Amino acid sequence: MLTMQNVSKVYTTEKVQTHALRDFNLEVNEGEFIAVTGPSGSGKTTFLNIAGMLETYSSGQYLLDGIDIGRLSDNQRADLRNQKIGFIFQGFNLIPDLNIFENVEVPLRYRGIKSAERKARVMECLEQVGLGSRLKHLPQQLSGGQQQRVAIARALAGRPRFLLADEPTGNLDSLMARQVMELLEKINQEGATIIMVTHDPELARRAPRNIQVVDGQIADFSLYQKQLAGTEPAVAEV
Amino acid sequence: MLAHYLDLSVRSFKRTPMTTLLMIIAIALGIGVTMTSLSVYHMMSMDPMPHKSSKLFHPQLNTRDQGVNWWTQDDLPHQLTYIDAKNLYQADIPALKTPSVKTGYSVHLNDDQIKPFMETVRLIDNDFFTMFDMRFIYGGPWSDESDNSGELVTVISAELNDILFGGENSVGKQVFFDKVAFRIVGVFDDFDYHVKFYDLTNGAFNQNEQVFIPFSLIEPLEVNNWGNTNGWKYEDIRSFQDKLNSELVWLQFWVQLDSPEEVTSYKNFLTNYLTEQATLGRFERQDVHFDLKNVMQWLDYNNVVTEDNRVVVGLSFLFLAVCVANIVGLLLGKFLKRVPEVGVRRALGASKRQVFMQHLVEVSLLGLIGGTLGIAIAQLGLWGVRSTYSYYDALATMDLSMFLAAPLIAILACIIAGLYPAWLVCNTNPAYCLKTQ
Amino acid sequence: MLDIKPTISALRRSKAGAFLLLIQIAIATAIVSNASFIVYDRVQYISQDTGYPEDEVFSFSLNTFGDVEDLSQQMEQTEQLLRNMPGVIDAVYVDSVPLSGSGSASSFANLPRDQNEQENYREVRAAYIGADEHIFEALGVEIAEGRGFLPSDVIVTNTRADLPPVAIVSRSFLDEMFPEGDGLGQHIFTGNMGAQIIGVVEKMKGPWLKDSRPDNLLLIPYAEASVYQNFIVRTKAQDRSEVIGKIEDLLLEQYNERVIINLRGMDESKARYNAADLLMVRMLIVLMVILVLVTALGIFGLTVFNISKRTKQIGTRRALGARKSAIVRYFLVENSLVCVLGLAVGITGAIGLGHFLMTEYSLPKLSLYYVVATAIGVFIISLLSVLIPANKAANISPSIATRTI
Repeated sequence: MLTMQNVSKVYTTEKVQTHALRDFNLEVNEGEFIAVTGPSGSGKTTFLNIAGMLETYSSGQYLLDGIDIGRLSDNQRADLRNQKIGFIFQGFNLIPDLNIFENVEVPLRYRGIKSAERKARVMECLEQVGLGSRLKHLPQQLSGGQQQRVAIARALAGRPRFLLADEPTGNLDSLMARQVMELLEKINQEGATIIMVTHDPELARRAPRNIQVVDGQIADFSLYQKQLAGTEPAVAEV
Repeated sequence: MLAHYLDLSVRSFKRTPMTTLLMIIAIALGIGVTMTSLSVYHMMSMDPMPHKSSKLFHPQLNTRDQGVNWWTQDDLPHQLTYIDAKNLYQADIPALKTPSVKTGYSVHLNDDQIKPFMETVRLIDNDFFTMFDMRFIYGGPWSDESDNSGELVTVISAELNDILFGGENSVGKQVFFDKVAFRIVGVFDDFDYHVKFYDLTNGAFNQNEQVFIPFSLIEPLEVNNWGNTNGWKYEDIRSFQDKLNSELVWLQFWVQLDSPEEVTSYKNFLTNYLTEQATLGRFERQDVHFDLKNVMQWLDYNNVVTEDNRVVVGLSFLFLAVCVANIVGLLLGKFLKRVPEVGVRRALGASKRQVFMQHLVEVSLLGLIGGTLGIAIAQLGLWGVRSTYSYYDALATMDLSMFLAAPLIAILACIIAGLYPAWLVCNTNPAYCLKTQ
Repeated sequence: MLDIKPTISALRRSKAGAFLLLIQIAIATAIVSNASFIVYDRVQYISQDTGYPEDEVFSFSLNTFGDVEDLSQQMEQTEQLLRNMPGVIDAVYVDSVPLSGSGSASSFANLPRDQNEQENYREVRAAYIGADEHIFEALGVEIAEGRGFLPSDVIVTNTRADLPPVAIVSRSFLDEMFPEGDGLGQHIFTGNMGAQIIGVVEKMKGPWLKDSRPDNLLLIPYAEASVYQNFIVRTKAQDRSEVIGKIEDLLLEQYNERVIINLRGMDESKARYNAADLLMVRMLIVLMVILVLVTALGIFGLTVFNISKRTKQIGTRRALGARKSAIVRYFLVENSLVCVLGLAVGITGAIGLGHFLMTEYSLPKLSLYYVVATAIGVFIISLLSVLIPANKAANISPSIATRTI
């Protein structure tokens, strides 16, 4: 359902060109749970931004459900994002002025869903993450783990088929991180495709499929195998 | 979605109360100052009788020798000589028409009850009441016979009727103007014209006359006019009769012409009249020179909107521009702090248009609040105008259209101020939110 | 050392802020230069010397509606009644009152009308007032040259009579009529009737301060009584309001078939005539004060904004050894650059606006002095508006540079 072929992203400033992604190829199938790892500056986040249509790419082709993203306008991308994709950020990124209920409601509002249905869906999603009783709280009144669960509920509210998570446990202690991970696994089992960027090898290991990004490219898996066999020096820790 | 945007705006105001307050003060001051001057301008320039102003005409005749110049821009005198006013009045033209001139009398009831007081008095034909839509609360205009016979009849204002008769129906009663007893035939309702457009001679915004009497009384009563009298050549004028026969201009004249055809035929009449007067040897001119101005042209020609007012209105709008620039600065600061939040919203599927609209709604709400506060400031300003210059009492007020204009101008100004900052935030790269950490 | 180079590049990056500042400074300069000039012009006009002790003189109008056998006799009696009032210096009945906005004016010539073909024939506009010999004392003016009216000069009449053969004129009229300076003793004419100029008053304004010839006034010894009659009375300044309070009752007691109106001091008459100008002055002053406040606030706000964007940068500079004064100077220089640009635009705008006002409206030409003074004022205010936030910025702790926010 997600196909990237030779996708490249070049940032051009006045003096230098930086290749954030180069000839990036990836095929993701329905229902997969993929962990993306790689060193800082390797292009993980750029990949996630492009996958989530937050950024455009410089060349190559990206198909989502058969739709060629490169041909879409900004508004069409916004709509598609709203319908198909849920985001979970490392910093939670809850809107501080809005209470829990309203935060989860945001993507539904942009989709133009009627008030009654919005309410039902928000409640459903908050129940799902175990926060059904804290509707009126503001984000800063919750713990980090609770905030991230709100963010997950918000990502789920639009019933996306794709969840993109950027270091979802990066700001959490290990207990909370595990709870969040379990929640993601449950969501995956219920049918959503998840791509998760992480630094945490333990978390990555729990994902059925791992991808390592190095220098804007997926590290050659065969090479990776050789590393494990000890014939080549390790490129990066997995 | 609008309700949601409004809700978000209110939250945003609460989050940055200081900036919001500054912006509201800026727009309120801008609107307050602008509306103060604009309200006066609006009242000055407003059409006093929109349904009829294009049909009422004031003629101006050039009855001077060729080469003698007047000081007006088109070289025509503002007023008419008695000879011309009388001739135009008596001409056999099927149109409503009236000569008009102002005087003043001591008004009393010839008893000890009421101390005599001065009132301005206007001499007119009874057509005047119809032409200027005067409404009566008691009685009505005097008859055509009274116009012709010079009967001592009068129409007084409701205000004067209150003073003299305690507001009772005074039709048929006697009132004295100087030593002369007049019979009251009608009491008219208060004028609601803010500009005294039928006679601009001594100030366009003076109060209208409280007493009207037939024009034909001018000769028997030897009425001395109040207002301007202008001459262009030396005449040895000693008696009232000398003045009537002179080339002094001191009367106004109005004629109602309902169609373009009537206007054309009246212009033909004036051409013939002036040609005939020249033939009679009254003045030495080769060309026929006159003009016929309707009410709005007349107001414009007489510079009813003062230059000072125009200058102040212009400067006020420049001031409003400064306020707008100020608000742009504050909005830039405020909106740019919100970039991370906007990034999240964009990531969650908000389109640029939705983000843009949200911010425009916010600035519009700002404009609405500032505009409403601006009305209060404008009221203070107008109070200041009235207390400085009582002559502007009727002008330094806001009518309904100005009350509506104030928030509209404020909202418009705020939207203009908000366009660039809103455009900046809605172009926030949604990927921004992933990189903030 | 002034950090102009880094300042300019920083400015380039925050174009919008600098542009807004520039616009505000430019418009403020353009408005304030012109408005202050108009205010000065009007204040000069309103407070001009009229030649009269305005706080001592008052006037009123008397409308007699009763049947009076000999009106001029009655006016003389009323005049006498006024002169006998305690506190009154002198009183006189006149056909019109200086500074009141109501009166008569005409063209006067240096030759009779039947000689108007002559080359040196000249006409000069002047207002004229007819009264008896008490007019000078009542108005509080002195004869500078020549003589005043004698009782024998004065024509007292109930009907329009021939004008008297003598007149006393203001210096301004005399100099315009007889530019050679030999006017005293010469004749002036209206039609073919001539009058000899027997005296000159240094300064006395006519009825209309906005007339094309406000300083040209003729006094003629001619007292024609009328049913609508004006009176001028002079008292000591401290007695005036008391005398004014007694006038109506006293005059009605003498004869009650008459009405007194327009009873007011000369200063009040003048203020009424000039009320529109006072209004203009007040409106412009309010406008300028608010404008300067708003502009100062705007500069203040933008500087705060600029600083908040650069908190970390300032911290880093401090950590690298920049002194507080260097930080303050940095912002002062930055603001000054924008301000100078804004002033350049504003001065051009002020001159343009002034030229527009002069050609479109009857306003005098803008004096450059006002533009320069305004520009300096705006510059100082803008520096002051920057000082507070810049000092605050200088107090930013260098440790902020090491924090990762």
